[in-house]
Amino acid sequence: MAERLRRARGSGVVLTCWLVGSVLLAFIVVPLLGLAAVQPVRNLVRVAAMPDVRLAIWLSLLAAFLTAGCAAILGVPLAYVLARGTFGGRDVVAAIVDLPLAVPHTVAGIALLIVLGRQGPIGGPIGEVLGLRFWGTLAGVVAGMLFVSAPYAVNAAQIGFEAVDPRLEKVARTLGMGPWGVLLHVTLPLAWPGIMTGLTLTYARAISEFAAVAILAYYPMTAPVKIYEMFLQFGLEDASAMALLMLLVTLALFILFRGLARRRARFAGAGR
Amino acid sequence: MTTAALVIEAACLTLGPFSLRNLDLTLAAGEILVLLGPNGAGKSVCLEMIAGFHRPQSGRILIRGRDVTDLPPEQRRVGLVFQNFGLFPHLTVARNVAFGLRTRRLGHARAERAVVDLLRQFGIAHLAGRSPQHLSPGEKQRVALARALAARPDLFLFDEPFSALDARTREVLRDELKAFLREAGVPAVFVSHDQTDAALLADRVAVIDHGALRQVGTVASVFRKPANYFVAAFIGVENILAGRLLPRLGAMSRIRVADAVLHAAGADDAAGDVLLSIPAEEIGLRPIDGLDALGLCSSTNRIAGRVSEVRSMGALVRVTVDCGFALVACFTPREARALGLSPGQAVVAEVEADAIHILRDQVNCR
Amino acid sequence: MLLSAIALLAAGPASGQTLTIFGAGTLAAPFRQIDAAFEKLHPRAVVHAQFGGSVMMARKITDLHQHADVLAVADYSVIPRFLFGESKAADWYVGFARNAITFVYTEKSKFAPEISSANWYDVLARPGVQIGRSNPDTDPSGYQTLQMLALAEQHYHSPNLAAALLTNAPRENIRDTETELLAALQLGQIDYLAIYRSDALQHHLRYLDLPAAIDLSDPARAGNYATAVAQTKNGDLPGKPIIYAVTVPTGADQPELAAEFVAFLLGPAGQAIMAGNGFGNVDPADAVNIDKVPASLRSLVVPWPSD
Repeated sequence: MAERLRRARGSGVVLTCWLVGSVLLAFIVVPLLGLAAVQPVRNLVRVAAMPDVRLAIWLSLLAAFLTAGCAAILGVPLAYVLARGTFGGRDVVAAIVDLPLAVPHTVAGIALLIVLGRQGPIGGPIGEVLGLRFWGTLAGVVAGMLFVSAPYAVNAAQIGFEAVDPRLEKVARTLGMGPWGVLLHVTLPLAWPGIMTGLTLTYARAISEFAAVAILAYYPMTAPVKIYEMFLQFGLEDASAMALLMLLVTLALFILFRGLARRRARFAGAGR
Repeated sequence: MTTAALVIEAACLTLGPFSLRNLDLTLAAGEILVLLGPNGAGKSVCLEMIAGFHRPQSGRILIRGRDVTDLPPEQRRVGLVFQNFGLFPHLTVARNVAFGLRTRRLGHARAERAVVDLLRQFGIAHLAGRSPQHLSPGEKQRVALARALAARPDLFLFDEPFSALDARTREVLRDELKAFLREAGVPAVFVSHDQTDAALLADRVAVIDHGALRQVGTVASVFRKPANYFVAAFIGVENILAGRLLPRLGAMSRIRVADAVLHAAGADDAAGDVLLSIPAEEIGLRPIDGLDALGLCSSTNRIAGRVSEVRSMGALVRVTVDCGFALVACFTPREARALGLSPGQAVVAEVEADAIHILRDQVNCR
Repeated sequence: MLLSAIALLAAGPASGQTLTIFGAGTLAAPFRQIDAAFEKLHPRAVVHAQFGGSVMMARKITDLHQHADVLAVADYSVIPRFLFGESKAADWYVGFARNAITFVYTEKSKFAPEISSANWYDVLARPGVQIGRSNPDTDPSGYQTLQMLALAEQHYHSPNLAAALLTNAPRENIRDTETELLAALQLGQIDYLAIYRSDALQHHLRYLDLPAAIDLSDPARAGNYATAVAQTKNGDLPGKPIIYAVTVPTGADQPELAAEFVAFLLGPAGQAIMAGNGFGNVDPADAVNIDKVPASLRSLVVPWPSD
């Protein structure tokens, strides 16, 4: 009797968690389903046929990809020193990394404009010397996206690195591999799932950013800006058709990313 | 004279709250040294210092005659094996072993052949394509050794590889490891907190505590003749007695312990308070009969006492005798039955003079 | 402590009537003053006002089915375009203020010392000058800018004027909201901004004094303005005088209170506040569909002059 009670209580915990958790799942899924439900398929097709709709979606995908790339190149090394380092200001650095999450997006956009604009301390010289401008360009889109999404890359990659046993790195050193080799052949492959999660989250966050991007670059139009313009021009139905289109494309991409990450993990061990 | 496998000269290392103080250690070619000590003694730090992960603030480290003090780990030619053997989980067994071949810069074909040869040598060729996750500890050890050996190290370093294993598996792996080291002829430093590892693996033992070496010597000398209280307590000597040195008797020392006088082999003209160590297995017990002579008889000490406790410890029986001081003896269950010992019984304890060891480092103080 | 917090939240605005106002962004400053004055006159009323693009505010009512008691837009044609018709969200409107479209700038702007009403179209066409403007496909001031440039071409007999100026105002310089455009101007990203004269006065910026023939400020010139056409994604839009219009949507929760608000707006106090913020007056206020205008307001308006 006690055994049965105990088992019931154990599964009761799981059941309660599912009940509570499914509320959250519903909270996410139902509004999105609502978006889908008001769409006749031919509306989706009509909106998808608009060339500037497709262009905006493509631009968003491309810019988010570049953003994830920048986050990887700049953020993963930072995550590494945060994970392994024992320097004093570690907490301060980690807090700085998380700052963009707390900044309102319009404020973030204006702050970036102050620095990267024509008269900005960084934007001015870069514009003169390299011809790289951030106002109304793809670079501006990426800058806006990167600011708001970089924390996700760093935090998840840091967790990934922390999960790698430092003793494995030590063994690799004694086997004759220098520090860079160890990073490339041992640390990175083992931290890969964490890094990949971080980059996927970065991509997701970047692709949905509106306010920060819109201040730096309204044209070229990213999908969120285009969706808003469509709402103003044509109304709710067309705007939500484009939003749904955007979601479907993004969903397909995420499934692809997850599949790629898993396949790489599986093949990492097999001989070449 | 062949080059010493490892020489640590006056190494001092401070790592946060921990420090190694003036460490001097030598390892002869082909020798296995077990570094023994409790948790937190600094064994792992010492090992990592040898491997090159901590640079000593002063002193030198020479491996096979090469001064490696300033060299990074990848240039020291040491093989490192950790607890759970540290196999790379993202690589197959074959690629793990191949990892050790990288520095030798073999061509692709020769490297492949070398891997196959190594796998075959260790009897794990059938595991080549497997992931390390699901191997048994024995298989893991072989892969770790093959991998380390592939890099042709001058010295092996083992950091408590058996700590997480059950007793039976430990035994098997220990035997395999010893056989491997003997055959490979590569010297090794083996870190452990378990004296059985020391007893069965070591050529020499170094006992370390709080960053300082307490005694270095052969297994026999450390276990039979501990130099000080720490070593004696650590190796688990059951009888550590405090006494006072009396003037010697010929070639034997005389020590007063409580009301009795014990005679120990080996004499010098020291005086004062001493500590004695007597292993439990060196004490014999006999029920007393009125005619027993006590004191020193030929070279055997005879002390009268009363049994205070008889405790079964599984494979052994521990008998505690009150002789004015406590003496612990142990017997097999068979012997205990034959002696018919029971609490309260009057007995004579017999100890050979050369079984009583004076802790030399602690003459005059404890 | 939790209970008192909940009580505080539940108490909310003083029990009374809440008046919901949706207004064009450029009306934010004057309406805040008007709302405060209105609340003083009607102590039980609480005004909740939101400001944003005129089209956005209209869409909130028609597409998102939000209830507003008062809707005020920057271009009177927004109301018939979005709220008359299928949605039947409104059936009348009253023009209550005028504005002029012009270029605003700061002392840091390029060529600021030498620009004047005589040479502005040459200066603004010079290479290196950056001009910002609003989105003509979604925002009145966006297409009004294009209409003003077409009128300028006629007025100054300069056939290439619009094209030359627009080279300095490419798509990259288009932004959606006033906030972004003003921020860009103040940060020096753009030198000149096509926006309403009222904004110049409210934000203490310099502005060009353009002739009434081109700046869409005079309802009497409506016929002339109509000759300038702006090409947008919504089709070709002929020029109209900039007249701000107000209505009480059919779905209003507080139609009587809303009518009192409109009365205040059209009255001397409201008109004075508008003038003080740089808007032109419409006196008397013009109404379209005057028969649908609430009785309490009918005495304040006259029918919209047809052109």
